[in-house]
Amino acid sequence: MEDTLRLVTQMLVKGQLVVLLYFLGVNSWYLVLLVSSLLEMRRHMLLIADESRHLLLSSTLSPTISILAPAFNEETSIEASLRALLALQYPSLEVIVISDGSKDETVRVLVERFDLVPVKTIYEKRINTKPVRNLYRSATYPSLVVVDKENGGKADALNVGLSFARGELVCAMDADTLIEGDGLQRMVRPFLYATDVVATGGTIRVVNGSEVKFGRIVRTRVTTHVLAGIQVVEYLRAFLFGRLGWNRLGGNIIISGAFGLFRRESVLSAGGYLHDTVGEDMELVLRLKRLSYEQGSPGRIAFVPDPVAWTEVPESMKVLGRQRDRWHRGLADVLWRHRRMFLNPRYGVTGLFVFPYYVFVELLAPLIEAGGLLTLTLGLIFGMIDWRFAVLFCLTAYGLGTALTAFTLILEDISFHRYDTFRDRGLLFWWALMENLGYRQMTVYWRLRGLWKFLRGRKDWGVMERKGFQKPVSVAETN
Amino acid sequence: MVDRNLLDLVMLVEIALLVLAVGVFFAHGVWLFVTQKQFLRDLTAARDSLARLLTRGTINVEEINALRRAPRDAQVAAFLEASRNVTGMGKERLRFVAGEVSLLDRARKLCESRLWTRRLRGARVLARMDVADPIIEKLLMDPNPAVRAQAAEWAATHPAPSVIAIMLTMLADPATQARFAVQNSLLRMGSTVADPLASFLETHSGLPAESGLRVAESLAETRFLPAALRHSASEDVGVRSAAANLLGAIGGADAAARLVELLKDPDSIVRAAAAQGLGRMQHWPAAAQLAECLRDSTWRVRRDAGLALRAIGAPGALFLRRALKGNDPFAADMSQQVLDLPAAAAG
Repeated sequence: MEDTLRLVTQMLVKGQLVVLLYFLGVNSWYLVLLVSSLLEMRRHMLLIADESRHLLLSSTLSPTISILAPAFNEETSIEASLRALLALQYPSLEVIVISDGSKDETVRVLVERFDLVPVKTIYEKRINTKPVRNLYRSATYPSLVVVDKENGGKADALNVGLSFARGELVCAMDADTLIEGDGLQRMVRPFLYATDVVATGGTIRVVNGSEVKFGRIVRTRVTTHVLAGIQVVEYLRAFLFGRLGWNRLGGNIIISGAFGLFRRESVLSAGGYLHDTVGEDMELVLRLKRLSYEQGSPGRIAFVPDPVAWTEVPESMKVLGRQRDRWHRGLADVLWRHRRMFLNPRYGVTGLFVFPYYVFVELLAPLIEAGGLLTLTLGLIFGMIDWRFAVLFCLTAYGLGTALTAFTLILEDISFHRYDTFRDRGLLFWWALMENLGYRQMTVYWRLRGLWKFLRGRKDWGVMERKGFQKPVSVAETN
Repeated sequence: MVDRNLLDLVMLVEIALLVLAVGVFFAHGVWLFVTQKQFLRDLTAARDSLARLLTRGTINVEEINALRRAPRDAQVAAFLEASRNVTGMGKERLRFVAGEVSLLDRARKLCESRLWTRRLRGARVLARMDVADPIIEKLLMDPNPAVRAQAAEWAATHPAPSVIAIMLTMLADPATQARFAVQNSLLRMGSTVADPLASFLETHSGLPAESGLRVAESLAETRFLPAALRHSASEDVGVRSAAANLLGAIGGADAAARLVELLKDPDSIVRAAAAQGLGRMQHWPAAAQLAECLRDSTWRVRRDAGLALRAIGAPGALFLRRALKGNDPFAADMSQQVLDLPAAAAG
């Protein structure tokens, strides 16, 4: 009996040591990313200081951008969202709204408010999609195209949009994303600067708590809502030091589905968005990257740190849980689909470096963290683990993370400082501290649930309830 | 078990990191609060002084001195702001004042720096102030593409023959950023660049020719016709389609005749560009050939031919209606869609 107990104790301690080393490794890597993002941010700020973007804005040489805006039951918000899109500052713009089998009055609202007339529904079908029911063009807005199709999900709607787009570049977005007036000018920059860029993503920020008028942010504020507030910090960290850091290291493989710019021909050649995955945005980017290695085609993914778009985040545990569960299922699915890239030298930095990072640090993190927490608790209860070790574990797992988050806040403050009041600064820091007290553990649970569902083959999206920017509305995400 | 000293050390490091982060975060906030307020005050004062200097007939030495005393960042911001809103005599006066407060000298010095970021800053100030200076002309050949692009932006308002000559050679710049800026600036130079560009197009091929043809398309001068005709027979698809676009922009019988020939080009991109060009010219004698393109195997060619027929007007519409009743379902579908389009969307 004593031998068994000693063995269990030894295993627990060794397991804890492994988890501790894991967190130490992860946080050290985050430190590398932080330094990389600092350097990248400095370079970016130097490049954009005093630049005159209006020269680009007025240039007839700028590539045409087709905005693809899928909409599902958005009758209450579609008019404001579309007017904001049509007012974006860009010289050559086409807006394609794809009603993905909306069951409400979305299409009727569009027809009435935008002077739409039906035209013969023919298009170049390079990707298989659900049938298109009607096609409309506007008598007053030459650049507006509205497609009414049968419900097939966001990926299917985007594929239909790709078929109708005429622009050299396509901008995939969610219908409720708020794009900054000059957001497209900022996002298009990498395409003008290099010929091998196939996609660019920008920083997405949390709109909750900010003041919105006519589809534009008029006053940025940090929300006082706990869940949304912590997500403000999470988003800042993910974009400002995660993606920006990877940008310098050449390892970006995620572009947010809420707002991303792609070279249309590259996406069409790759086969468009995949239908049977919930991580269609990451899957497309990884596929573009993979094809670039396999076929020698262009494949650079660029990240623009400028805040270019704003999105509403869930304020209820239930909806947030569903979102995180779906994100993790998406991640698992995408990594599984492209598993042959794992540690494969044929795929360069992506195969040897980025892919393993996503497997060990993003995918398996909840499993390791949950295991660590469970054994720590058990060890402490049964006196198998020293309390000092428990403190060291928490300091390594959470303390270092908080310090790194605080440095991300500094990065935001020295670059764009969109949250410029002391109230906002105080709140940001408060949410950074609060993140580790319950919220992070909940995300571990949701991500584990996502992993479990992935193993069981679940591919549903769930329902996303949104409050809306001006008045409360409730809409369902395209499934 | 964990050594107490190790634990203390880790705790100490983390507390230090957190305190440092919090300290820097809030200290930066305080610094921003104070400096931004001060900056706004300085900027307002500099703006006022500058506005008075620009609007009054005489130069007031006191105002110049006040501007000279203003902090550099506020000074630069005020001048750059003003530069966007003045032209002609106003801009000349602005340059004079900028010279008096040594802003231009500082910018010139920055242009000579070994650091590209400084050269970029210097070039930006000189470009925004429209200063004609050989130092920025030299930056057209800078090793850094961002600096070259900025110098090219400056060149748009300084179309001297030597500058145009360098700009034309830069159409082959390996950096896309610089190439785009050069094309954009050549375009903004307007007809001044037409003759040298026409000669350039006569003697160049490949990527530089393609870039040049795109600029020429926007200028749409008849001087480019010989070059456009020559390049329309190029082996390079990109060059051929750019030449077709240019022919459509120039117009005239020769251009139209060549565009009709290009409707039979083996590459669909060129055929589509030719159809577009004929539509742009509203060349009704080509309606029958465009109607044939409604049966093309490529969607893009069918669409552009349909739109071209619609742009031609009555004769084009006649062919579109005829295609509706024809035996080719693809041509009929495309014709129906083009005829359905509201006028605003058919352009």
